[in-house]
Amino acid sequence: MESPPEITAEVPRAWARPAVTLPVLAFLSLVGGQLPSFSTQANLYTIVLGGGLVLVGLSGRVVPRRPVPGRPRPPAAWWLLPALGFAVLEGVTFLAGTRRYPTLSRLMDPLLEDEVVRSTCFFGWLAAFWVLVRR
Amino acid sequence: MTLVQGLIAAGFVAVAVLLGAVEWVARRPGSAVPTLSDMCALAMSYEVRRLPVGRVVLLGFWWWIGWHFFAR
Repeated sequence: MESPPEITAEVPRAWARPAVTLPVLAFLSLVGGQLPSFSTQANLYTIVLGGGLVLVGLSGRVVPRRPVPGRPRPPAAWWLLPALGFAVLEGVTFLAGTRRYPTLSRLMDPLLEDEVVRSTCFFGWLAAFWVLVRR
Repeated sequence: MTLVQGLIAAGFVAVAVLLGAVEWVARRPGSAVPTLSDMCALAMSYEVRRLPVGRVVLLGFWWWIGWHFFAR
């Protein structure tokens, strides 16, 4: 006699809830916001933090992943608009390679000198990283 | 900031607004447009002989983005 298929339910881990992860990401962002660009500390911090998140994202055991959606339907092509817009703008400014035609990172450099802006952007980077890790 | 630099900055802002608009449409009830997160999940599900190429590339790319903007 065949046994009935096992029914499994994904139970979110207590520490993976937003009430826990958001304050942790905020704390890590505040620390990252204090480290100036082009410094050894900033290099080490982003490399270690990002590397850790990549390892967690690749392991697939530490954090439960959300289900993958099915094949994209034609309306998904709307995403080509911002993607192509960014690719053209970044590509042209990158190929120009001068301060007269700055790339996005060159435009952001002076803004990221401010600690509040830096911490806010750091939080955005980490939050998006966490979303990717869980997908 | 020169006029050209201002125009380039406005172009990047326009792209960000466009991205936000598509995401807003995607999050409306019954929308056929997938969210950015769903698009990323699709890209990350790409595998070559059980090697998670899409996952490695996207996570690696985002790692590099952080290093490029906050450290280098």
